Amino acid sequence: MPSSDSKVLTLAEMGALVPDGASLALGGSFLHRGPFAFVRELIRQRKTNLEVIKPSPGYDIDVLCRAGSLSRARAGIVAMEGNFGLAPWYRRAVEEKQIVLEEHACMTLTAGLRAAAFGIPFQPVGGVHGSDLPVINNWASVTDPYGSGKDVWVIPAIQPDIAVIHVNEASENGDARVYGTSHWDRIMSRAAKQVFVVAESLEPVASFQARPELTLVPSFMVHALAVVPRGAWPGSCWPLYDVDYPAVERYMASDGSLDQHLASAPDNREPGQ
Amino acid sequence: MNAHWSGFSYIVTNLARFIRPDEVTFSGVNSTAPMLACLLAKRAYPFDFTYLNVAGGVQPSPSSVPISSSDPVLAEGSAAIFSNEDFYDLCTRGGMDLCFLGAAQVDGRGQTNVSVIGNWHNPKIRLPGGGGGAVMLPTARRAVTWRTEHSKRTLVDTLDFVTASGGLHGVVTPFAVFVKRDDRLALQSWHPETSLDEVRERTGFEFDATGAAPTPPPQTDEVAALRALDPDGQFEQDATRLIR
Repeated sequence: MPSSDSKVLTLAEMGALVPDGASLALGGSFLHRGPFAFVRELIRQRKTNLEVIKPSPGYDIDVLCRAGSLSRARAGIVAMEGNFGLAPWYRRAVEEKQIVLEEHACMTLTAGLRAAAFGIPFQPVGGVHGSDLPVINNWASVTDPYGSGKDVWVIPAIQPDIAVIHVNEASENGDARVYGTSHWDRIMSRAAKQVFVVAESLEPVASFQARPELTLVPSFMVHALAVVPRGAWPGSCWPLYDVDYPAVERYMASDGSLDQHLASAPDNREPGQ
Repeated sequence: MNAHWSGFSYIVTNLARFIRPDEVTFSGVNSTAPMLACLLAKRAYPFDFTYLNVAGGVQPSPSSVPISSSDPVLAEGSAAIFSNEDFYDLCTRGGMDLCFLGAAQVDGRGQTNVSVIGNWHNPKIRLPGGGGGAVMLPTARRAVTWRTEHSKRTLVDTLDFVTASGGLHGVVTPFAVFVKRDDRLALQSWHPETSLDEVRERTGFEFDATGAAPTPPPQTDEVAALRALDPDGQFEQDATRLIR
């Protein structure tokens, strides 16, 4: 029963909501449960000047660099992972200064997201002592105002324009749940100004009401929803499908083209396109 | 046992030997060797330890060994999902006994660079970047890294960039095992098919070798466990491309 609360859009309609220059927190980690169909849609729509915010991006940041859609990144560790090593187009984009990188540790980026989620200007983070990262990022440290004498690094708030997460199941209203680890999706969804959800399948609202503790993001926080089966391809979405390693190999192959790669994606055959 | 001990097996086995009974031990992303080491220790050693991994697994029993060390299959059989923020917070509050962390360059104080070769602002090679190290290396009780290449460009006197400080407890390469002593990495042992001279020749930092000796060869249980984890030799084959 479609209701006036339905947030279901096509992938193309969801992509059209992203302005050029937007900062995007992307869910998942490396090749696992990333919003990859959404990222490909941004490329098809020739978005420019985007920013990726993600502790462990890989395929997503690499394909956006390959398409020339990206101008900035705030990231912890960037690699294709699996047995594929470095992310080649990302690496080139940084080395040739096509994008501006703000390098983080995964947890300093999370501290920035926590600050935004908590509604405060900065957030302490454990560790970091002795690292050069505070130097290049102009991070400050504070001495415990309660007298322990300990110094703690503080990270300024990081508020993405949009958090985009790929989930196993959503209700038409936008309630979203994942199976397996939530990676960094939860804090991203609380930090961003808007949340977009891409789901493998729609499930009845009643199934969320029956097990509300499984819902990662409640519908009132979700601005847009698209249903894209196999949308995390060529990555995995547990327990539905594994990484498509041959597809990643073809993506990495020097004789492959971006157009061929996009054309081979499941989301290229979305009904109605 | 006089059979050839491959660099791959040497790394995985010696990483596993850092694991101690009843401790909380963690393997992360981009970390095939530590993932295998933790799974090897579970099979080969007569003690229990709490194995956590980046897929959220807590004492998992994965039905297969994935190519990606962050694959969700690594949470199979887990009775809980301990997600990213959980294991980082555990580490910073002092609850992580042993943490395996990646590194591109390591210096004699056990600091690491995973950020850049060359100047950070004008990189020759942009490396993966910060990752867990800057937060976990100074806060884990012990942190151990591995390098598939043992050379003066990976074990260096001066890092191109200090991504993580705080001092590694251990480093394993295809040629040697280093352990921290008096805030410096000291040689603990070398691969029985190499020599102290070759380790010195290949290492860019000064180190103490007092008491160092050839590494004890792999035990039957260790060999059997690694064979069970890599029956087709796929991990061995993938790693051999990188070992030098």
